[in-house]
Amino acid sequence: MIRYIVRRLIAVAGILLVICGITFVIFYVLPADPATLACGRACTPERIAEIQHQLGLDRPIYQQFFDYVVGIFAGRTFGTGEAAVQCPFPCLGFSYQNNLPVWSLLMDRLPVSASIAIGAAALWLLVGLGAGVISALRKGSLWDRGAMVVALSGVSLPVYFTALVLLYVFYIRLELIPYPEFVNPFTDPAGWISAMILPWITLAFLFSAMYARLTRAGMLDTMAENYVRTARAKGLPERTVVVKHGMRAALTPVITIFGIDLGQLLGGALITETVFGMPGVGQLAYQAIGTIDQPVIMGVTLFAAFFIVFANLIVDILYAVLDPRVRYT
Amino acid sequence: MISMAIQSTVRLAAVVAAVALGAAAACGGGGGGDEQQAGAKGGTLTLLQTDDFEHLDPARNYVTNSGDFGQRLLTRALTQYKAAPGEAGQDLMPDLAVDTGQANEDKTVWTFKLREGLKYEDGSPITAQDVKYGVERAFSADLPEGPPWPRQLIEGGDDYKGPYEDKGGLDSIETPDDRTIVFNLKRPVPYFNYTVTFPVFGPVPEDKDNGVKYDNRPFSSGPYKIEKYDRGKELVLVRNEHWDPKTDPVRKARPDRIVVKMGIDPTTIDQRLIADQGEDQTAINIEDVEPSSIARIVNDPKVKERFIQGGSPCTRWIGLNMSHKPLDNLKVRQAINYAVSQESYITSRGGPVLADPTSTIMPPSLPGYQKFNLYPNNNFKGDPEKAKQMLADAGYPDGLELTLTSTTESGAYGPDQAEAIQQALAKAGIKVKINAVSASVYYTEIGNIKRQDDLVFYGWCAEWPSAETMIPPTFDGAFIKPQGNNNTSQYDDPEANKRVAEILELMISDPQAADRAWGQLDRQIMQDAPIVPLSYDLRSQLIGSKVTGAFGAQMFGGHVDLATVGVEQ
Repeated sequence: MIRYIVRRLIAVAGILLVICGITFVIFYVLPADPATLACGRACTPERIAEIQHQLGLDRPIYQQFFDYVVGIFAGRTFGTGEAAVQCPFPCLGFSYQNNLPVWSLLMDRLPVSASIAIGAAALWLLVGLGAGVISALRKGSLWDRGAMVVALSGVSLPVYFTALVLLYVFYIRLELIPYPEFVNPFTDPAGWISAMILPWITLAFLFSAMYARLTRAGMLDTMAENYVRTARAKGLPERTVVVKHGMRAALTPVITIFGIDLGQLLGGALITETVFGMPGVGQLAYQAIGTIDQPVIMGVTLFAAFFIVFANLIVDILYAVLDPRVRYT
Repeated sequence: MISMAIQSTVRLAAVVAAVALGAAAACGGGGGGDEQQAGAKGGTLTLLQTDDFEHLDPARNYVTNSGDFGQRLLTRALTQYKAAPGEAGQDLMPDLAVDTGQANEDKTVWTFKLREGLKYEDGSPITAQDVKYGVERAFSADLPEGPPWPRQLIEGGDDYKGPYEDKGGLDSIETPDDRTIVFNLKRPVPYFNYTVTFPVFGPVPEDKDNGVKYDNRPFSSGPYKIEKYDRGKELVLVRNEHWDPKTDPVRKARPDRIVVKMGIDPTTIDQRLIADQGEDQTAINIEDVEPSSIARIVNDPKVKERFIQGGSPCTRWIGLNMSHKPLDNLKVRQAINYAVSQESYITSRGGPVLADPTSTIMPPSLPGYQKFNLYPNNNFKGDPEKAKQMLADAGYPDGLELTLTSTTESGAYGPDQAEAIQQALAKAGIKVKINAVSASVYYTEIGNIKRQDDLVFYGWCAEWPSAETMIPPTFDGAFIKPQGNNNTSQYDDPEANKRVAEILELMISDPQAADRAWGQLDRQIMQDAPIVPLSYDLRSQLIGSKVTGAFGAQMFGGHVDLATVGVEQ
């Protein structure tokens, strides 16, 4: 088990390094030169060269990449002389737009993204799994059809549409809630829930729909398996048959998807955060793209990739717990 | 303070406007900045915006919304524009200085005397040496985003690397005493007292300077100081108790507190301000309203009352790349001028509420402006028949094919605008292929003279009320450069180039005659039809029902002038 985890962790590091390299190359070949952008349009080539030198952009790409990777583990210093700025471990670059290390920007934004992701995930698991299981057990019923129609709507509607409709209805028309603004859950739990409820519902509407359909399909397959029939034949209570034998196996693919989805959201729910004005990692990425803040875009990419890869690792470990047929090899 | 170029098609750092906006600029809200309407001091003003300010460090603060916020609230400069609606907003006022500067006879040496009793937020005195240090910082490659004027105008600016590398400072900026600063310039600059309105000509105490990080906490010389600044999220200003209103003829500093909330979706900002609930009643949308919100705003009289329009000294146009055939042919360029429908272009951007059509390079707000239309095209609707005839005369009876660069994102140069131009030119037999690029690389692409398409959207703002900062950089052949090129027509006419030099000379001896000459040169250049003028934009903003004294400030790109705005409590 431990060897398996260590092996997977090494693989995770390798994947992140590859992602880092690809992202670095993409930015390197882009025509948007940060020095030119910073210098504006009334700029001379000499001045651009000075700024490129100051930002270290005049060095060969392999050297820049090496510095970047080393900086992640050992920290870096940007600039020289009195204007030099420190970027401590783990240095994912320095944002000259925000004048802060990328890592501190990410850490500042993570609580918001985590609040959105975890709350929405709890909601969609509750609704999605519940609706999926009941639909499967009552296949063809009014409940099943109704739930699947709602699910289809949820999958079909874009997040930005749902978000704007919710804002319009609950904030502007009904005035039921204040405009969502992130507050610290530890100092004001009620305010936190009030602020988060619309983003949660927005995301949960989309994901519940997908999870309901996925769970329903999985449950229908599993409940038709021979071992379920055997369990019933042995006289086990229906609840035990459904929960222990049916759901456990049906949830395996759901957990796989859940790992990726949660990892993605922890790396920033870009559209939801942007529409609701939530200062999370996704919104940071959106702002960075608008200002071509390359270190931040790189940082967010790596950060999001880390969550997805890491969430997959956790999912793989959980597999064996859920499904006794899976063994670590 | 206007960023030299119209910086971004998406975020519209600076926009185009008409002089006639003087009247429009005053409409809405508290209107006109009238003292009584503006109300008493106190309360909290909220600014809602999508993006963070580009930079508030005075050395890096260059674009209009950051300039409005930084200059009107936080950091003062030697001179400043009057806080007044319409063209009066172009009037020069002393700020830190006791007057608007004294020049020697040939305008190469400018002297400014500071007021007595000027203080920073900690009560320490503001000195001429601090202003010198503030200007010198702009030479550092670590702080590159500010205006180019210190480097371009001050003697020795070509070689000086800034105070981080060269402790000795720039000898051409003298401070004979704590209250006097003297600038020795490379050449005569009659409008240098306007140049020093930029925040970079303000004080920075050396012991508070922490390089690039100064941007996150500039030390205040203005009426407010920063209490909290979470980049991209929230900025809170509170009163600077050491700011003395008696030393400041421009700023009213009415609210006790100013809260900037960032990262809000633009459509949501519009929805909130239209709904006008709670704290949004004392809020301002610091950016333009979305075109999709215009109908809801103008069709509801109660909301329309809170709609603020402001102009700026800027123009948008299509540059015709004269280095490409057949655009080297005058008749072809004239035909395109006849064919383009400014009305369609403006409609594609949201309609006449957002822009006025134009036929000149200079916007009407600039001194010396002449109103003319050398290519009358059915009142800006386009005249394809005339264009076809011109093309036939030019040897293209079967039409021609051209490329046009646009942005992939919506905005002033987006897909809708490109299609509007494409459709208008198609009627004249000109087939246009649209080459859409990301807004983030748009200027890099069109500024590369080898890669530049036949037609490019462009725009320019005057940096101060003179065509001196508009016509030479965009139409003088000497300004054509391989990359970062702003002369988008690659127009290099010896007569026009010579005239530019003559007018720059004339500015020293007779500024009024020079202003008139710029207007004449505008007509002379348009006879060569290097561009198709499109529009003067109107910045369109919405304010809450309890915001007072709001109007669009001409020299801040039409943004609500934060020097006068207040809130009802």
